[in-house]
Amino acid sequence: MKPWKIGRRERAALLEQGPTIREVFNGLECQHRLPAGAHREVAEAIAIARKFTREVIRPIALDTDLRCMRDHNYLPLEFVKKAAEWGLFTLFIPKIFGGKGMSFLAVYPFMEEISAGCAGLGHVIAVHYCGAATLFPSMNARIIRKVFADVAKSERAGDPHLLTIVVTEPESGTDVQEPLLIHNARPGSSVRRVEGGYVLNGKKIFISNGHLSYWHIANFIEDKGSKTDSWIQFAIPNGTPGFSFGAHEKKMGQFACVASELLFDECFVPDSLVTIRTQDPEFRDSRKGARWVCHTITDHVTGGTRTGTAAISTGIARDAYERALAYARTKQVGGAPLIDRQWAQIILADMYRNVNLSRIMYLEAAFALTLSGLFKLLFKKPVYGVIRWLPRWYFSLIAPLLDLRIATRFLRWYYYDGYPTEERNVASGWGSACKYTCSDLGLANANLALDLMGADGLRHENGAEKCFRDVKLQQIYESTNQINQLNMFYCMVAHACPEVELFK
Amino acid sequence: MNAIINDMYVAERQAFADLARDFCSKRLIEGREERDRYPFGGLMEEAIGDAAAVGFYGINSPVDYGGVEMNATMLASILERISREDAGMAAIIFANAAALEVLRVAAEQTGCADVYGRIHSLGTAPIAFQSYAGPEECELPTVDAHSLMSGGVGFLALAPIAEYAVIPARHGAGARYAYYLVALASEGVRVHDPIVSLGLRGCPAADVTFERVPATLIGTGDGPGYFDSMRASLSIAAAAISLGILKGSLRDAMRYAADRYQGGRQIIDWGQVRMMLANMAVEERIAEACLDTAYRELDSGMPGWQLTALAAAIHVGELAVRATADGVQLFGGNGYTKDYPQEKRMRDARQAQCLLGMAPLRKMALVDRVIEERL
Repeated sequence: MKPWKIGRRERAALLEQGPTIREVFNGLECQHRLPAGAHREVAEAIAIARKFTREVIRPIALDTDLRCMRDHNYLPLEFVKKAAEWGLFTLFIPKIFGGKGMSFLAVYPFMEEISAGCAGLGHVIAVHYCGAATLFPSMNARIIRKVFADVAKSERAGDPHLLTIVVTEPESGTDVQEPLLIHNARPGSSVRRVEGGYVLNGKKIFISNGHLSYWHIANFIEDKGSKTDSWIQFAIPNGTPGFSFGAHEKKMGQFACVASELLFDECFVPDSLVTIRTQDPEFRDSRKGARWVCHTITDHVTGGTRTGTAAISTGIARDAYERALAYARTKQVGGAPLIDRQWAQIILADMYRNVNLSRIMYLEAAFALTLSGLFKLLFKKPVYGVIRWLPRWYFSLIAPLLDLRIATRFLRWYYYDGYPTEERNVASGWGSACKYTCSDLGLANANLALDLMGADGLRHENGAEKCFRDVKLQQIYESTNQINQLNMFYCMVAHACPEVELFK
Repeated sequence: MNAIINDMYVAERQAFADLARDFCSKRLIEGREERDRYPFGGLMEEAIGDAAAVGFYGINSPVDYGGVEMNATMLASILERISREDAGMAAIIFANAAALEVLRVAAEQTGCADVYGRIHSLGTAPIAFQSYAGPEECELPTVDAHSLMSGGVGFLALAPIAEYAVIPARHGAGARYAYYLVALASEGVRVHDPIVSLGLRGCPAADVTFERVPATLIGTGDGPGYFDSMRASLSIAAAAISLGILKGSLRDAMRYAADRYQGGRQIIDWGQVRMMLANMAVEERIAEACLDTAYRELDSGMPGWQLTALAAAIHVGELAVRATADGVQLFGGNGYTKDYPQEKRMRDARQAQCLLGMAPLRKMALVDRVIEERL
């Protein structure tokens, strides 16, 4: 028998030794698993984003940054309205929830494009989808429909109701976002059960887009004695009694996207706006238990949002590269064009390499999400076909079915009861891997741009210094890169090392 | 003998460092955030005035002209101390010292009495200088046969506040450049709006254009020679600014890590945080070692000290950029806000890396000299 002739069983055993195809060849798997129209949607999203970036973002990017520097209280409300005119706040919301239904795979290249124009303004749109990515894992079909129906209606009216993600508190940031640390977190906020709802007290900080948003997808720990399994999430609209905005942070960069304080002072939220509560019997008494559900909610959220963070980092890396290239083509140094210097060409080559490495990383994570993560249901070929090709009016007819409990139950069964831990690890692991890789590459490119541009790079009007300021945030939010490294280790490495202890 | 000289220098350096430390505690810590908003916030006018009172603008100018006539290592000691708190002030002293160093080098050949005599505010107000670019990187103004300067210079540090500037300019098309002294209050000088820069915002800078402005030639007109000489000496000072920023960042990161709790314990007790602090500590020690070597070689007049100084500036600059990024990271989200000084340090370190010209060009200049020496 020839040694390279491998039988089916042996082949399967060899591939199971790991790394498995499902763990590390997401792009390859998508070649045959993705529905046919998905790649066309990505191209379409890139084209829309490029046009919007060229016509709307680039002309105002540096001015907006400067304006925010001059006046800390400036908010880019006109930009929000303009993005609403283009329909960007519902572009990636499924048709059944009132959106335009472009696929979630396309959202990441879209984010890269707009962030290449301006990371701050890009974030104003991207954070809205981070809010959506926080709300979706609740799988509460009724509330998701209610919120996005309002977003769609307000967008049409020219006064869009944006979403934001609310987690961090003054004394607990990284630890409440990391399932393996959450038991030691010390959140200062409190949640009290009262008749008909809950009363919230406390302060949330670093809430991106807070002052610009209407729906705040707020996450709390309900029972401080049992932090690992008492996740509770609310959809809180502006105007809720007891809810108010505090200050917003003075930051290093990304000025256009405010980082707000949200204040809860005896804030009553009715049961109808509780999106998910893991201490409910449906989770507490489930086969996998509330702790597993809490972990999975967190990973569903962060898998989606960290991939977005990575795409934004790629956009900034690209912005830095494009600015450096344009500069090198016109700058004369010692009587010769800068771009003719070999060392300059090497810097530009490294920058180009970094952009493409970065893109490969976030796309791989996005593929993992479509195969194994939050988007997997939407990319099953029959489901994709229905949501892609049936008209919006059809979905508006059937949307009321989402208010039935069975819709929520089905989604929760699919994404929790029937969802394997192995898939969760792949989606979450790739989310972390791309988040910290892309943000590091983004910072590397910003540094290279400044190396190449010298004193001119330090000037605000040339944009490179803005890339440097903006990109640093990418290493910090959505959990620091260090936590993401550990999460990737947990998800992708530690499962094969049962003796390992984490966060010791 | 060398040991005695070195001890003497060490003691003097310490005295200057102590002076700088007192200056920092009185003038630079409070209001740091507001000063960093320049040009959208105020200048540190009091501190700029006080720096003159303690003699920081005359450290490297001759005693005959009211200076202290110290070498670059003394200047570096002061700048390192100041940069731990606010490198913006250090950048002001640096730009002035660079201008004076060009004069000092020229004076070794010609005395330059006429040039010194023209600077009425010598030692009491800083002189403007293009700190962030070598002449090779810029378009230079020209000076005609009547010693009138026309054209423009970009990113002239201290231009918005200085009375005089030391400017490189060409005497006719294609000619080598020379340095000239220009009074910025002269008719025909236009100081443009202050530049909004990445860091070191306490040190204001602006583009300046000249239209037939009287300019006084400095020395024999050997601009490249003066620049190389100045760059060698001031490289030590540039490295010291980077080191000071790095030290401030590490000090505050350690304090924060000891105070901040995450995941149920002080973050300083997390292995990953310790490793980042360890990396910063290693970078600090390496940077100190680089500078100590450069100090020693300069103080003892060792042949080739210039190369060590150039290399130290390049390397310590890179270390500071890396370390201050970690300094922000260790503060998490707080590090990104202006409530803490870490983000300012990260920006300042990055801008300080451009002192005396873009780093790749400085590397190429260094290797040119190394090749010249060894081949």
